[in-house]
Amino acid sequence: MDAGLIPANLYECPVVESRQVGAYRQVSFVAPEIAALAQPGQFMMVRLAGKSLDPLLPRPMGVHDVDSDLVKMIIDPVGKGSVALAGAAVGDRLSVLGPLGCGFDLEGAGPAVLVAGGMGAAPLTMLARALAARGREVACILGFKTRSQAMVSELYRDVHVEVVTEDGSAGRCGLACDLLPGLVEKRRGRELPEIFACGPAEMLAEVARMARKHGARAQVSVAAHMACGIGSCQGCAVSRSGGYVKACTDGPVFDAEDLQWR
Amino acid sequence: MEVSLKTRLGPIELSHPVINASGTFDVLSADLVLEEDLFDRFPFSAYVPKTVTLKPRRGNPPPRLYETAAGLLNSIGLANAGIDAFIREDLPRLAQLPVPVIASVAGESTDEYGACAGLMEGRPEVAAVELNVSCPNLELGGRALGLDPERTHRTVALAREATSKFLIVKLTPNVTDIVEIASAAVDAGADALSLINTVHGMALDRYHLKPVLGHLSGGLSGPAIKPVALRAVFLVSRAFASLPIIGMGGVTDGQDALEFLAAGAAAVAVGTASFRDPLAAAGIANELRKLMQERGIGSVAELSGLAQR
Repeated sequence: MDAGLIPANLYECPVVESRQVGAYRQVSFVAPEIAALAQPGQFMMVRLAGKSLDPLLPRPMGVHDVDSDLVKMIIDPVGKGSVALAGAAVGDRLSVLGPLGCGFDLEGAGPAVLVAGGMGAAPLTMLARALAARGREVACILGFKTRSQAMVSELYRDVHVEVVTEDGSAGRCGLACDLLPGLVEKRRGRELPEIFACGPAEMLAEVARMARKHGARAQVSVAAHMACGIGSCQGCAVSRSGGYVKACTDGPVFDAEDLQWR
Repeated sequence: MEVSLKTRLGPIELSHPVINASGTFDVLSADLVLEEDLFDRFPFSAYVPKTVTLKPRRGNPPPRLYETAAGLLNSIGLANAGIDAFIREDLPRLAQLPVPVIASVAGESTDEYGACAGLMEGRPEVAAVELNVSCPNLELGGRALGLDPERTHRTVALAREATSKFLIVKLTPNVTDIVEIASAAVDAGADALSLINTVHGMALDRYHLKPVLGHLSGGLSGPAIKPVALRAVFLVSRAFASLPIIGMGGVTDGQDALEFLAAGAAAVAVGTASFRDPLAAAGIANELRKLMQERGIGSVAELSGLAQR
């Protein structure tokens, strides 16, 4: 038995910045190894370091962005775990395991359309930049409930962004998927775009349906309740024809056509 | 002072008392994800893979998890690839672990428990068989076998006939009298007991006020259930003094391990705490050693059952 058996990809990370971005909280912490390795679409298991048993478990958090030694995440404080993480102050320490899971496949060519719903906008900033760096034409559709959520769209730089809100308080009124056919169909006769999406299950199902209809490839990042993030608990089951796959180690990014949609 | 953490489950010697609870640590997956060679440095003194059944099972519809106050509700539903795949694909790799492997099996009928136990017979890579008669998510006809003394007896007796392996039976706390169920298992030939499986529970979505879990209800684990588990270990250990008991239910630190051993367990299993920190077990064993040192307790045998005396 070893004294202090700690996997090399489990880190204790000091928070260096915490700021409100509309309805969400952006928390930045020092994690040079994760910053160096993280690929767009990967996630981390994060909790406040220490002995407190409530909240008990870490939460899966998408890597929103990296900047030198810093890793950034966007938190929607809706439950016990996310409220605790959103409350992390500068100097607090986080227990962070990552980067985890399979991110987006960037190997395709041609134009890319990114579709996000709510918090789904967080992990796609890094993706937009990575795709643009590969010389791909990038257009983003970001859908939110309200203007305060839509403020996260300010974190997108140097790419074409269309904002949609359900209450019409910012950008166009409607749902993110309302704009998708326009973006796909206006390319009729030219190369079809590849679709990348992250957001609520209903939105992803609609993206999958439209991609199938137009014959475009869609990669979707799914959200699921997770306990471990490393393939042990089997809690984060996602439907595929004939069974379930694990969001944590088989995903969280899947080809839309590989999943079963209701 | 010199403290020995060695303990034993019948003929199986363990280098320390901390093993894993079935279904909470998948070494084959964790070894790929965690940057640590788990086959070289393994935190547990024995390994219990996730329960397998005769036929593959998809498991329950999501959501399968929900965190409650210092606890975790799950309704995984014994998702597994079936015992044939386990024998063919997993066992050869698990045989490379530096610790004994305890195969956990369940059936959709009494006969299937016997069949699964029989399939472990004659396999040198399996040190013991754990019968999971207590999964709250596998209730055919609405009841786990382990809710009833007579069915527990029949199930354990069939498995006992089918294998000469060291036979551990994992009991549910969701019963009126756990000593009565333990007695049925021991009478039927159980060599040891695992106490406890999860506690029945439910959570409602805070906005919609409907059950969160796809299966509606599930099993509660974690620190929240430790007192329930400790009582079960204490009562069963008092009734069967020489019976090896693996205590589990909320073991999160060295003090928890110390208390389960004092209540009468010979070993403890870490479950939910491994979700919080994947290699927590190593720290728990270290803390246990320190606590025994501070108290002048030289061995697990000296500690085990201290609360009874």
